[in-house]
Amino acid sequence: MTNERLSAFTRQAGTILATLCGLLILTFCIGRLMPVDPVRAIVGEEADQATYNLVAERIGANLPIWQQFFRYVGDLLHGDFGTSIRTGQPVITDILHVMPATIELATFAIIFGAGFGVPLGILAAVKRNKPIDHTIRFLTLIGHSMPIFWTGMIGLIIFYAALDLVGGGGRISDFYVGLVPETTGFVLIDSIMAGDWEVFGDAVNHLILPASILGYSSMAYITRMTRSFMLDQLNQEYITTARVKGLSKGRTIWRHAFANIRVQLVTIVALAYGSLLEGAVLIETVFSWPGFGQYITNNMLIGDMNAVMTCVLIVGVIFIALNLLSDALYKIFDPRTR
Amino acid sequence: MNMLSKAFASVLLGATLLSQPVLAETPPNMLVVGLSMNNILTLDPAAITGKETVQVLANIYDNLVALDAVNRSQVDPQLAESWTISDDKTTITFKLRDGATFASGNPVTSADVVWSLKRLMKLNLAQASFLKTHGFSAANADASFSAPDEHTVVVKLPKKVDPELIVMTLGIVGPGSVLDMKTVMGHDKNGDLGQAWLTNNSAGSGPFTLSQWASNERVILDRNDKYWGDKPAMRRVMFRHLAESQSQRLMLQKGDIDVAYTLSASDLKALETDKNITIQTNGGSGFYYLAVSMKDERFKNPKVREALRYLIDYKGLNDSVLPYFGKLRDRPVPAGIFGALPNAGYTLDVAKAKKLLAEAGYPDGFSTTLRAISDAPFMNVATAIQATLAQGGIKADITTGTGDQVYGAMRERKYELVVGRGGGGQLPHPDSNMRAIVYNPDNSDEAKLTNFQGWRTSFYDAKLNKMIDEAVVETDHDKQIKEYQDIQTYYADMMPAIQPFSEVVDSVGYRSDVKGLVLNPSWSTQLRTVTKSR
Repeated sequence: MTNERLSAFTRQAGTILATLCGLLILTFCIGRLMPVDPVRAIVGEEADQATYNLVAERIGANLPIWQQFFRYVGDLLHGDFGTSIRTGQPVITDILHVMPATIELATFAIIFGAGFGVPLGILAAVKRNKPIDHTIRFLTLIGHSMPIFWTGMIGLIIFYAALDLVGGGGRISDFYVGLVPETTGFVLIDSIMAGDWEVFGDAVNHLILPASILGYSSMAYITRMTRSFMLDQLNQEYITTARVKGLSKGRTIWRHAFANIRVQLVTIVALAYGSLLEGAVLIETVFSWPGFGQYITNNMLIGDMNAVMTCVLIVGVIFIALNLLSDALYKIFDPRTR
Repeated sequence: MNMLSKAFASVLLGATLLSQPVLAETPPNMLVVGLSMNNILTLDPAAITGKETVQVLANIYDNLVALDAVNRSQVDPQLAESWTISDDKTTITFKLRDGATFASGNPVTSADVVWSLKRLMKLNLAQASFLKTHGFSAANADASFSAPDEHTVVVKLPKKVDPELIVMTLGIVGPGSVLDMKTVMGHDKNGDLGQAWLTNNSAGSGPFTLSQWASNERVILDRNDKYWGDKPAMRRVMFRHLAESQSQRLMLQKGDIDVAYTLSASDLKALETDKNITIQTNGGSGFYYLAVSMKDERFKNPKVREALRYLIDYKGLNDSVLPYFGKLRDRPVPAGIFGALPNAGYTLDVAKAKKLLAEAGYPDGFSTTLRAISDAPFMNVATAIQATLAQGGIKADITTGTGDQVYGAMRERKYELVVGRGGGGQLPHPDSNMRAIVYNPDNSDEAKLTNFQGWRTSFYDAKLNKMIDEAVVETDHDKQIKEYQDIQTYYADMMPAIQPFSEVVDSVGYRSDVKGLVLNPSWSTQLRTVTKSR
C-alpha cells in the first residue's frame, strides 16, 4: 500500500515537473519568436551600435538562444529568477508586489461569479423554458459575448463618471496612497490591520466595479455550465422517483440533483479562478489595476524573458495547484473516487 | 426561491453598505498627472529613453542650462548663472550659481557637474548618444570636462562643432542632468556608478525629489524643501499610469486627475467642449514622414521618389488625421527653429505623380508594401497614404506591427515604404534634425549606422553630408542660417528618401483651474510653476 502511494506520488510529481519544463520551453520559444527586442527597449531608438552591443552583452542577449535558455534554467535551479528589465528589481520582488492586487481582484470576482452563477444556473434549470430561464440565458449570453474591456469602459462611464457610485482607476484614491503600511500587499487586509476603515472603504469602492465586471464574465460561464449540469440531473429517473416518493421539490433539487453536480462545479469554479488570476489583463488595463496580468503582458511586449518565464511558471503552478485541489475536493464530495 | 432571493438581496445590500462616497477631487496642493508609463524602464538620467521619463525627471534634476518652453531658440540659465564661449569656439565655460544644493543637502559644485558628464560617457547608455555625435567619448571625457574651481565648469570640444549646440545639448534632461556625486557614489555597487540604485531613486537638485516609483503604477514626487529656486506650490506631484486614453479622459472630467498627458485625438476633441478642461498644444519633437528604402531599385529612381512626394495629401492628413499630434510641415527642420525655411507647399497632385511615374518607366504604377505601427495615428495615416498612392497607380499593402517590427525593419534596411515618426527635434538646432534624417556618413551595410535614419533609407549624398558638417561649425550666425536654408533647398532638390508631411506637436488636457502649466517642446515641462485655484 505504501509502495503504491509512493509510486503514485512519484508519478504525479514527475507529471508536474514535465508539465512545468514543457511550459518553460514553449514560453521561451514563443518569446524568442516574437518580434520584440529587449535590448532596443532599454537603449531606445537613437542609440548607436556600440551602446546596443554593450547592453546586449550585459543582459546576455548576445548569446545563442539555447545558451540563454540554459543560463535561465541554471539560475532558476539556484533559486534565482533573474532581474526584471522594466523595474531593475528581482522578478520575485515584482511578482510579490503585483500578485496581491490580482488575487484581491480575482477572489472577489470569483465570489461574485460563483455566488450569483450557481444559484442562477440552478434557477434557470428548474424553470427551464420559462421567462426567467430565457432572461437568465440572455443575461449570461451578454456576459459571455461582450468584450470585457468594452464592458469595463461602459461600467466606468455609468457607475463612476455618471452615477459617482464607485472609484475610478487604481486600487485606492491618490489621497490615501502611502497612508497604510504595505504589510501583506493586500490593500483590504493592510487597511484592516492598520484599523484604517476609511482606506478600507475606499479600496472596496475601487475594487467593486472591476471585480463585478470580471465576476459577471465568470458568472456567465458558471451559470451556463451549472444550468447544463442541473438539466442533466433533473432528467434522470432518480429525480422522478424521489418526487413520486413524496420528497419536496426543494429537497429534491438541493439534496439530490445539486449534490450530484458539486464535483463538476468545483472543477469549473477552480478553473475559472485560475483564468482570472492570469488572464485579467484587459480589465486591469482599463482600470489601471497594477496586477499580474498587466505585468506579464507588458513584459512580454518588451521581451523581458526573465519576468515572462517566471510568470508563466507561476501560472503553471497555480493551475496545477487548483487541479490538485479540485482532485482533493472530488474525493471529499464523491466517495467513489476515494 | 425564497432562499435565492434572500441571497441576492444580501449580496446587493453588502455591496451597497461597503461603498462610500468617492473623493472626487485631488487635494489643492497635490498635482495628479495621468500618462502611460509603459516606456518608463528606469529613472537613471543616463539610461532613460522616451518622452514620459523626461517629463518626470525634468522635475527632479537640474541642468546647467534649460531650454526655453516658449522661445525655442532660447537657452535659459539654470544651475549655471552664466556661460561664455571662447573666441576660437573650442571651449565653453559655465559659472555656477551660489547657494544651490541637492535634495540631500550637499552643495551643487562643479565637481558634481563634471562627474555627471563623465559618468554619462563612461556608462555609454542611451543618453550618451547626444554627446557622442559631437565627438565626446569615454576616452576623451577626462580631457573634455574639467572643474578648475568649485563654481566653474569647463567643456572643451573634442571636435569642431557649433558650441551653442553643445550648450543646448546640456539643457536636455538626460545628457545634461546634474547628479549628486556623493549620494550616488554612496550607492555604487561593483563599480556601476550607482546605476542600479538610480533606477528607482533620485539624487538631483530640482524642485521635487523622487519619493516612490512603482513600475506601471505610479511615480510620486515630493517637494524638495532645499530647492534653491522659488518654492513650488505643489507639495506633491503624482504621475499615475493610465494606459487607456478613455480612462484618462473620464478621470480628468471627474477631477480625479488634474492633467492628462497621453490623450488620444478623439478624446482631446471630445474634451474641447468641456469648460472645465483646457487643451494645450505646443511644439513637440520630430516629424511624421513617409520613408522609402533606396535599396529597392524602384525607389532608387529620383522620379519615383518625386512622384511619391505628390501622392501625399499634406493638408488632408494634417486636418483630418493628425489634429493634436501634428502640424503641416514638409521641410526637415521644424518651424520656429533658426534657419527653418517656410513650407515648400507640396500638394497632392495625382496627374503630376502619374507623369513622373511614367517617365520613370512605371506608367501603370507598381505594387509595394507600406509598414506602419499598429497604433493611432500611424494606422490612420498609413490608410490615408495608401489611398492617395492608389490614385497614382501604386498599390501599397499595409503591414502593421510593433515599433520593433516597423523600425526594426528599417534598421535592417529590409523594407519598402514606412510611415514613421522621428527626426530629432528635442534640440532646438537644425543640426539635430539634419543628423537624424538627412546625414549618412557611411552608406555601407557593415557601417550599421542604425541611429541615423538617413542610413536606414540608404540615401547617401557626399555633398549634403559636407554641407551639414560645414554648417554646424560655421561661426557667423547669419551665414549659418543661410547654410541651413541652402541645405533644405538642396535636400528638396535631391528628392529625399524621407519626406516629412507633419511636424510633431504635443497636446495635453488639464483642469481649467490648473495654472502655470507650459508644455516644453523638449519634453522637459516644469511643474514647479503650476498652481491650482480650488
